[in-house]
Amino acid sequence: MSAVSLKGVRKTFDGHAVIKNVDLEAQPGEFLVMVGPSGCGKTTLLRLIAGLETADAGSIAIGGREVSALPPRDRDVAMVFQSYALYPHMSVRENLAFGLRLRKFPKADIAERVSAAAELLELSPLLDRRPKALSGGQRQRVAMGRAIVRQPRVFLFDEPLSNLDTALRVQMRGELARLHRRLGATMIYVTHDQVEAMTLANRVAVFNQGEMQQVGPPLELYHRPANRFVACFLGSPSMNILPVRREGAVLRGQGFSVPVPEDLGDASSDRLLVGVRPQELLICRDGMMSGEVEAIERLGFDGYAFLSTPAGKVAARFSRDASVCVGDKVGAEPVGDAMHVFLEDGRALRHPRLSSH
Amino acid sequence: MNAIASLVVFASCLLATGAQAASPLKLWHAYRGAEEQALEKSTKLFERETGRAVELLALPYDAFAAKLIAAIPHGVGPDVFIFAHERVRQFARMGIVDPVDGAIDRRAYFPNTVDALVVDGKMYGYPLSLKCIALYVNSRLVSRIPETTDEWRAMLARMSSPKENRFGLAYESGDFYFHAPFLFGFKGALFDESGRAIFDTPEMAVSLAFVKRLQDERLIPEEASGALVKTLFNDGRAAMVISGPWFSGEIAKSVPFAVFPLPRVSETGLPMRPFLGVEAALVSARSTDREAARKLAKFLSTGEASVVRAVSAGHVPADRAAYDHRAVREDKLVAAFRRAAENALPMPNTLEMARVWEPMKLALQGALKGGVPPSGAGALADRRYRALYRPKPERASGVPYVVLAGLAAALGLYRARREVLSPELFSKRYPDAARAARYVAPAAAGIFVLVFIPFVYGAGLSFFHHDSGLYTFVGLGNFVDILASRGYRINEPLSFYFTLAVTMLWTAANVVLHVVIGLSLALILRDPLLKLKGFYRVVLIVPWAVPNYITALIWKGMFHRQFGAVNGLLQALHLEPISWFTQFSTAFAANLVTNTWLGFPFMMVVCLGALQSIPAELYEAAEVDGATSWQKFRNITLPLLRPTLLPAVILGSVWTFNMFNIIYLVSGGEPGGATDILVSESYRWAFQRNEQYGFAAAYSVLIFLVLLTWSSFTKRLTRGAQDASS
Repeated sequence: MSAVSLKGVRKTFDGHAVIKNVDLEAQPGEFLVMVGPSGCGKTTLLRLIAGLETADAGSIAIGGREVSALPPRDRDVAMVFQSYALYPHMSVRENLAFGLRLRKFPKADIAERVSAAAELLELSPLLDRRPKALSGGQRQRVAMGRAIVRQPRVFLFDEPLSNLDTALRVQMRGELARLHRRLGATMIYVTHDQVEAMTLANRVAVFNQGEMQQVGPPLELYHRPANRFVACFLGSPSMNILPVRREGAVLRGQGFSVPVPEDLGDASSDRLLVGVRPQELLICRDGMMSGEVEAIERLGFDGYAFLSTPAGKVAARFSRDASVCVGDKVGAEPVGDAMHVFLEDGRALRHPRLSSH
Repeated sequence: MNAIASLVVFASCLLATGAQAASPLKLWHAYRGAEEQALEKSTKLFERETGRAVELLALPYDAFAAKLIAAIPHGVGPDVFIFAHERVRQFARMGIVDPVDGAIDRRAYFPNTVDALVVDGKMYGYPLSLKCIALYVNSRLVSRIPETTDEWRAMLARMSSPKENRFGLAYESGDFYFHAPFLFGFKGALFDESGRAIFDTPEMAVSLAFVKRLQDERLIPEEASGALVKTLFNDGRAAMVISGPWFSGEIAKSVPFAVFPLPRVSETGLPMRPFLGVEAALVSARSTDREAARKLAKFLSTGEASVVRAVSAGHVPADRAAYDHRAVREDKLVAAFRRAAENALPMPNTLEMARVWEPMKLALQGALKGGVPPSGAGALADRRYRALYRPKPERASGVPYVVLAGLAAALGLYRARREVLSPELFSKRYPDAARAARYVAPAAAGIFVLVFIPFVYGAGLSFFHHDSGLYTFVGLGNFVDILASRGYRINEPLSFYFTLAVTMLWTAANVVLHVVIGLSLALILRDPLLKLKGFYRVVLIVPWAVPNYITALIWKGMFHRQFGAVNGLLQALHLEPISWFTQFSTAFAANLVTNTWLGFPFMMVVCLGALQSIPAELYEAAEVDGATSWQKFRNITLPLLRPTLLPAVILGSVWTFNMFNIIYLVSGGEPGGATDILVSESYRWAFQRNEQYGFAAAYSVLIFLVLLTWSSFTKRLTRGAQDASS
């Protein structure tokens, strides 16, 4: 029995279809991340699960129970909002206790749960402060604490880290992972940051324009993206996509050609797309492709050069020993088997074989 | 040289003629309607004859005397004013008018009009006309004229029909001016031998009982105002009216009427004797052009002006020569009133007379509306009279106060000695002081003149007692009188504590209702599913947008005992109509309803704004947390509304505390001053009870102290609320 089950869910706002027929299941205890660009419908989907919006079609079940007609209060979910939504006129302790107080829990239980959550999140010294006297990270933890004390069946997170600075974000990511391990609860997490998706999730669901593109473990999506969108969404800088024509045993692109991979099989068309991640394309003097360096990003350990080639803009990696400058004419060569092949409509045909899983 | 000389001469000629032409004579009066028009015609005649312009100013009657007393001694009053004779003695004593002997021919006027204007042998004005009330009858409905009250009562019984709301007689029964003929007809007297006013007499009781019986038998309407009387007569629903010459101008053209003297009282055989009023043109003692002013006054009182007034306004001229004109001689109205005036009693021009009105109003109200037995009403008036005209407090020495003020100033200087002795410290702490002062100066000047100075003046006034222009220093005497409730018990309406309690009850009830209704409406208007929100918002603001005195008068009309909409509704629901202004609870409720209707839009708008500032996410979080609508309201809406509601409530409470308009216009303080709040009570002391300015000023200072205490208390509340919210 899955923790959350969405079947055929549809939602339209003002004639604009925000969710177009989504089927998704979250397993109990799983950390499922819904990721995608702005406007893809992930937040709406989360709110549909929470009950803050009603679906136009389809069914939503939580813990095997159909909840489409139930208000949020009866769905046994807890939500952590992007802007924390802490009650400004209550202290941290009162914020944490609010949900329990509403459900008329005995005072002793409330106190116990509140202090347990506070300890878990290191909020104990802050219990009597008001939200306005807390820092961003502290507020975030109070918002999480408010969800934790409820001990719900499902936790819902709506981009909880987007209001924090990078260092804090990294720290909180770790804490979220730790929390998940400790509680073992089902968590559905919405974000637009693919790093969070990759690092936190048991499974990732990628959305684009109201449709789910692919769902699976993060590395599966990374190494074997189902379509061009997923391929370009995960990984930064995003995968280089180059149009080619299949000519016999060769895939010929503008200014380069590669042999056809053995396992490509017959495709319906000769016009294909080749995808190579910048991390697997090394700068060298001569290589499969060549071009002029337009921009450079040095990241310390290595860096990325953005080349202008006859086939278009290509990003490639160079190690810290290489001296590459803007304006240099360099070549780029894939490392090992690094070629993804896609049909023109974006569907994946072939992925590189991995040496080890 | 020649050119300059001629230029100077030319300029000075211009100035001279300019001065001559530039200052019209100022004439103040309290006329309306046909009387006002007649006066304008007369002054135009004067302008044509003498070439001197006359500037007229009409004032409401209530405040006329007070304005004259305030303006003339400071030289900013009129040159001539028209006033009834009864205040002449007071005006003379205050130096507001000068004797006109030497510029007047006493024989030109009727003797009793001359007598009315004589004080200590000197004549103080030019008599214009006689006034007294008489009996108007609708000639179509009335064929015979009653000679005695028994006849009269029989006729009235035949002509009245309560079902059709028709009355035999209509007149302003609550006004003593109209009740006086009954009193004097029953052989009653207003003053004892020493000249002091007396009310608790058997004749007073009998006269009140007589009128009460007329009312109980539905022969006369209840709560009759001037407007009601006019409407009833013009609609043909009142066959007879008791009123004065001014009424003729208000009668519709379609109603044929005639005027007769009032009947004789059957029980005593005496005629009903109305007050005789003499209207006079009085010359201000401070007029800059005394001679021209006297000329104007004399002109108005004789000759063509007199005829104009007689013919157009129905005035009965006081000068004999007017009756040589055929128009006047044959004017039926003038003749009728002259006949009625034969029985009239000149209203005494003593100070005591002016003190009679308020106590008698109380007595009439009590007997006719309030269920006080006629025998007790006189005593009621007596008590009120005694309370209002307390002996003045003892003159106090100013020395202790000056010493105290000096000590306070010294203490203040001592505390500020650092800044005073070392100016560098001040400029170091406030380096921009000079520049800041320049920015603040205009507003500070405005506030200084408009707020600070009147405040200090008023506070200073509270240490004095005022009596006909004489100010005596009484120190804290006024305050002691008020706070010790001297002259009346604590739970009587005149007592400061009673009024304070009423005011606090008034404020609390209003604020609670305003907030509850305003908040409820704001919550309803916030609902996203509600259509036509814009329309509702506009409609609900309308009560606030209408000027509140219009609202007050409309509501007052709706609460009228016989003709009001509210009682009409009650009757339609088969409930007993309520006499709204005879009991404290219902009069208070009437005021409350009116002010709530006026006040809830403000709270609604404030709440709407505040509600919009609560982030929707908090409600979503609460929903997920498990809150029902009520729980959301109690735990999120209310606490987050507090920071905005609190200032609004404080503001609203201060405004309501001083809400003069509603109290004065709707209930008028009825019954017997019980629904008066502190500010309207203070007004009455100043303007309706013989200008007891010092007493009223002391009241105002006390109001200020009460509100000051309230503000400091609420400041602490606001600070607490600020700490509690984000």
